[in-house]
Amino acid sequence: MKRNSTALTQGLVRCHDCGKLDKTHVVLCTRCGNPLHARLPYSFQRTLALLLSSFALYIPANLFPIMTVTKLNVGEPHTILGGIIALIHSDMLPIAMLVLVASILVPLLKLLGLSLLLLCVHFRWQVNAKRWTQMYRVISFVGRWSMLDIFMISILVSLVNLGSVAQVIAGSAATAFGAVVVLTMFAAKSFDPRLIWDVQNE
Amino acid sequence: MKTSNYLACPECDLLVRCGSAVVGEKEHCPRCHYLLHRPRAQSVVRTFALSLTGLCLLLPANLLPIVGIKILGSSHDGTLLSGVVTLFNEGMWGVAILVLLSSILFPMLSILLSLLISGHLYFNRPNRYLSEWLRTLQHIDEWAMLEVYLLGIIVACVKLASMAELKFGLGLTAFVLLLLVTVTLASNFDSTLFWQQIERLNTDEKK
Repeated sequence: MKRNSTALTQGLVRCHDCGKLDKTHVVLCTRCGNPLHARLPYSFQRTLALLLSSFALYIPANLFPIMTVTKLNVGEPHTILGGIIALIHSDMLPIAMLVLVASILVPLLKLLGLSLLLLCVHFRWQVNAKRWTQMYRVISFVGRWSMLDIFMISILVSLVNLGSVAQVIAGSAATAFGAVVVLTMFAAKSFDPRLIWDVQNE
Repeated sequence: MKTSNYLACPECDLLVRCGSAVVGEKEHCPRCHYLLHRPRAQSVVRTFALSLTGLCLLLPANLLPIVGIKILGSSHDGTLLSGVVTLFNEGMWGVAILVLLSSILFPMLSILLSLLISGHLYFNRPNRYLSEWLRTLQHIDEWAMLEVYLLGIIVACVKLASMAELKFGLGLTAFVLLLLVTVTLASNFDSTLFWQQIERLNTDEKK
């Protein structure tokens, strides 16, 4: 057996769930009974569809207010960026940086990174596949941390609920932002990093 | 060539000879450096014990007040569930369901499934649903986000600190303990070993 031979070239398939190797003609995994595929089925198309939807939702998520803070009957809507600026003005720079990274930089870098991965696979770019696989790993790891803003709103709305004295109400951007986080997580999950290695001519 | 002597890297499909990694060692894919296997000592027993601990912490963490605030004499307590209920009442049912799933239901389900699976393996009881449970556990793992929720609590408290008086409840202690248990649970979980044991149990049963 020569060096760097992949399961696919040796006529083998790895089960996505339990990791057992089987011959290519086997339909259901002999260990866990899951359907076997050499690569995630329709990985490129699914990732592209999910990615385009999250690009579309990213716009309302940043334009509309994510929450409205009412103090003594005076309402003040906050967008994601507005909330960060408010934190900077109240001298809480570290927390502001944290929110900036979690709710603006991470979703943006995730969208761009996944687009790059799709472009790489589609145009068969000859790249350093190890680096690109590492980028994919970072993208799938950081995705969950964007939920920070959603959780923060959930805590604020239940705590600051004192009628006319002070109240926080979630805005329409919260739904859009939550959808962006979930869709990009699904997009990263449906992308198959083995496609990067498949398009490299060795 | 026997297929059982080899394994394929899930991220670059390279065939690798099954490792002889022992406890304390890590086995990486030689081509893409993916962490292929990291054997753990007493994985089944530890999973069983930790998921029992988690089970005891679930109710206090979900029902006891986590943070309370006091503004102009009126005070208000918040639990994990009250955020979901308030969001639902405001008509934000999409966000409410997302928070409910990722901070309450999935962590709960993941502890229950760990308990079921490790219990069956520990007492050598075959069950035809074992692979179904382990598969579900692997899929929901990514969606249980207690550590992100804790960060959310911290940011919310920082925002509120200037306008209100905060008091932390017993629920927060239970929540942090639950978070520690789930993190230890995940790091002691050896999925390769679990799949092997499930296969062994189920083939023994057929004989």
